[in-house]
Amino acid sequence: MPPGLRLTGRLDLAPADGPALPPLSLTAPAGRWTCLLGPSGVGKSTILRLLAGLPTGVGFEGEAGGDDRRPLAGRVAWMAQSDLLLPWLSVTENVMLGARLRRQRPDRARAREMIEAVGLGPHAAKTPSELSGGMRQRAALARLLMEDRPVALLDEPFGALDVRTRAEMQALAFRVLAGRTVLLVTHDAHEAARLGHRILLLTEAGLAEVEPPEGEPIRDPAGPAVLAAQARLTRRLLEPDA
Amino acid sequence: MTVRDTDPTLIDADELARQRRRRVEKIASWVLPAAVILLALFLWHWTVVANEIPHYILPGPGLVGEALVANAATLFDSWVITIQTTALALLAAVAGGVGLAVLFNQSRFAEMAFYPFAVILQVTPVVAVAPLILIYVTDLDLGLFVIPEKVLGMLIVAWIVAFFPILSNSTLGLRSADHNLRDLFSIYGATRWQRLRYLQIPAALPYFLGGLRIAGGLSLIGAVVAEFVAGTGGMGSGLAFRILEANYRLKTDLAFAALILIALTGVLIFALLSFLSHALLHKWHESAVKREV
Repeated sequence: MPPGLRLTGRLDLAPADGPALPPLSLTAPAGRWTCLLGPSGVGKSTILRLLAGLPTGVGFEGEAGGDDRRPLAGRVAWMAQSDLLLPWLSVTENVMLGARLRRQRPDRARAREMIEAVGLGPHAAKTPSELSGGMRQRAALARLLMEDRPVALLDEPFGALDVRTRAEMQALAFRVLAGRTVLLVTHDAHEAARLGHRILLLTEAGLAEVEPPEGEPIRDPAGPAVLAAQARLTRRLLEPDA
Repeated sequence: MTVRDTDPTLIDADELARQRRRRVEKIASWVLPAAVILLALFLWHWTVVANEIPHYILPGPGLVGEALVANAATLFDSWVITIQTTALALLAAVAGGVGLAVLFNQSRFAEMAFYPFAVILQVTPVVAVAPLILIYVTDLDLGLFVIPEKVLGMLIVAWIVAFFPILSNSTLGLRSADHNLRDLFSIYGATRWQRLRYLQIPAALPYFLGGLRIAGGLSLIGAVVAEFVAGTGGMGSGLAFRILEANYRLKTDLAFAALILIALTGVLIFALLSFLSHALLHKWHESAVKREV
């Protein structure tokens, strides 16, 4: 069973201007997709970085980690808007990067399997510069699968993709990450409505939980439930104080 | 636009125009430099003939060519010596430049302490200090073999000229690794050494190679300056010594022949290092990846 995520405390983003964010209490249930939706610059990525144990450069008083009170280090996988592939390595070598850094013999057969799973089989020997944006994110996803960590922190991984590629990647990621605790940071209301078991809205006014559309994710991207929820979420993004 | 793009006949015409442009560019990349060099040679020849300039002041290109052929054997021996000094100096510059860059990258304090010193070395006019350096050094006994003092002095002079671009470019390159990738390495629990080995050093490679191309030419200049100062002895007499000797004997054509050899050597070094750079980077780096458009 993967751990859930918990972050409580006060985030001090920009002490100089504007009112400080109210104290936060964020949880992400184990084995489900939690979408953290909000405008740019409100601190979404900072929350993700705090959970991942990365340096943030902002003040934070409180606790961030797993809900089993054990450190998350070593149990977290990371995916961001930039593909985070090393440009001088092939797709296969990138997928096996973790093993290399742990000084383990890389499991080539498994790497092959993961690359097949994301549909990059014919491109395994190419370098990132030879791939399209969507294919690079597939490679990043294959690496995330290769690492097989119980928690996946996704920082707008599909933000730079066109609508169709994004929908395909969402479906693929949702399928292959099943059973893991996923926290997806996004500024796309549609994405949150489509993927979230749980949807959290972070604005200048603070953190609020929003009722997800009916039906289990992953939902039909052009279905009425998702589109209605997208409209509702967009309204709340536009008028955070209402 | 849409209408134009979907019209097959016009696409063909565009494609043909593009192919023609590519062909013209390919031919021009050889023909243009060759034509300019020929023109320069002709102007040189014409200036000498029209102004009746005596050959010991400015020999014409024909005379220089004759000197080149007549003294081919001596010049080749000198060329080998100059190339040896250049190559050794470049190797030392790579070792020193990269070594210092890694040290600076790993220790902020080392960088604070020594970077100004590196800049001072760089801006010191090497011609002014070269004679002193050649006086200061003594034979260096390395156990297996002894580096004669003159060779050592020349190497130091050439090294001072050549190492800085490698140092400054490599320092920049080691710092330029993508911050998102650094985050990824943190999440993978990579050690400092692994981050250096698997992330920073490969990311610095294009910068290093840029510095290397500059340093290649500079180490040749450094070697020539050192030879001018050192004169004969040590490793023997390089091309610069041939120039000095020819000038003393008013054999200006021979001096020009040696000079042209030095220039050609510089072009050769640049071409070799560019080729090396392309070979190492063409698979992944923006500067070398071939684009369709």
